[in-house]
Amino acid sequence: MRNLLNFLAKYNNLIIFLILEGIAVYLLSTGNNYHNTRVIRGIRGVTRGIEERVSNTRSYFRLRDISQALALENASLKNTIEQLGKKEDVTLLSVSDTVYHQQYVYSSARIIGNSVNRQKNFFTLNKGKRQGMSVDMAVTSGNSVAGVIVGCSDNYSVAMSVLNLDFKLSARIRSNGYFGSLSWEGKDWNHAILSEIPQHVTFGVGDTVETTGYSAIFPEGLLIGTVSSFEKSGSDFYRIEVALATDFRKLRFVSVIGNLKKKEQIELENQFK
Amino acid sequence: MINRILRFTVIFVLLLLLQVLLFNNIEFSGYVNPFVYIMFILLLPVEIPSWLLLILSFATGLIIDFFTGTPGMHCASTVLAGFLRPYVLRIISPRDGYEPGADPSMVIYGFRWFLIYASIIVLVHHIALFYLEVFRFADFFRTLVRVLLSSLFSVTFILLLEFIRKGK
Repeated sequence: MRNLLNFLAKYNNLIIFLILEGIAVYLLSTGNNYHNTRVIRGIRGVTRGIEERVSNTRSYFRLRDISQALALENASLKNTIEQLGKKEDVTLLSVSDTVYHQQYVYSSARIIGNSVNRQKNFFTLNKGKRQGMSVDMAVTSGNSVAGVIVGCSDNYSVAMSVLNLDFKLSARIRSNGYFGSLSWEGKDWNHAILSEIPQHVTFGVGDTVETTGYSAIFPEGLLIGTVSSFEKSGSDFYRIEVALATDFRKLRFVSVIGNLKKKEQIELENQFK
Repeated sequence: MINRILRFTVIFVLLLLLQVLLFNNIEFSGYVNPFVYIMFILLLPVEIPSWLLLILSFATGLIIDFFTGTPGMHCASTVLAGFLRPYVLRIISPRDGYEPGADPSMVIYGFRWFLIYASIIVLVHHIALFYLEVFRFADFFRTLVRVLLSSLFSVTFILLLEFIRKGK
């Protein structure tokens, strides 16, 4: 007993150190992964106010860019409405026809917390469950991909940014339709890597890369970016560097897209696994 | 004593605000993320009991973690820095030892001493932090570049703050 006490007295530093380090590593391993992010974000009520204030200040300095982006988006939406209006004149669709049920719901949100300089970047949206957000909804900025919601509290959501080592997205080259997998390497916030495109495919620098509809998260044909360079990697595939269309540093107003038929699609797919 | 606690509380709050409001928002290529809050651990008195130092390190890390949304990451690296601090102080102790009751500051022990002291602790902290962040050894050297660049900036800012403190 005496020896034990001596031992404890002698190494008390080391013991406290190990205990504290143990707690930290425990937090690190449980609190930091993809799905548990929402737990810790939930506790962050105190820090949220400060975060929101910082974000407001920053957005003030970027008003010009923001208004420009919104104006552009407005213009493209007006064009779409125009086209749709024309179409409706000639086609006769019954609105209640179940085949033509709406598949995607759109809503807008504001980003109140964002980062681009970490290896696992997330951003926080100012809408949560009460405003109809839910996990696995797609987040887009203008017409280009920004991230996926990974956690929701009552009034806030946290989304995983494309700039996250854990982010994977099914993407294709618009000109020829070949698809591969898009991920971020953690190097710089303007570029992501598109892999799994076979080497017999022809494409060029500047070709558009867009989403496929395969994941049931993103609608088909959303802009991701353009091919900025490519090289043959060891195997039979290309390693394509994609210049992202979204400027993550200026992310401010985003659209959130929910897929109403996601459940149906996933249930059906699971039957064949 | 009360005076001292008050002074360190003020330093703590100031560093925290500086980190959260300013340095966490630096978006410079992703390679440079200075973490100056570690300066709080540097400035604590030399004869502080180790257990208190460790607990203060833990608390500091935890608070920063709450702001960055990375539970445990800053905690683990700050506790490591706090744990190694007494050993670092012993290794680089000046010829006639530390003056009783003095803080490890630039005014008392000189620029060179403080530079070495700050560099070692910051480097330890940043190495732990950045490798915990990526949590893999792929791209080892790129992470190392991030560590070195960020450390350079952190130490620079810490020296700058220390000069400002000295001027007061």
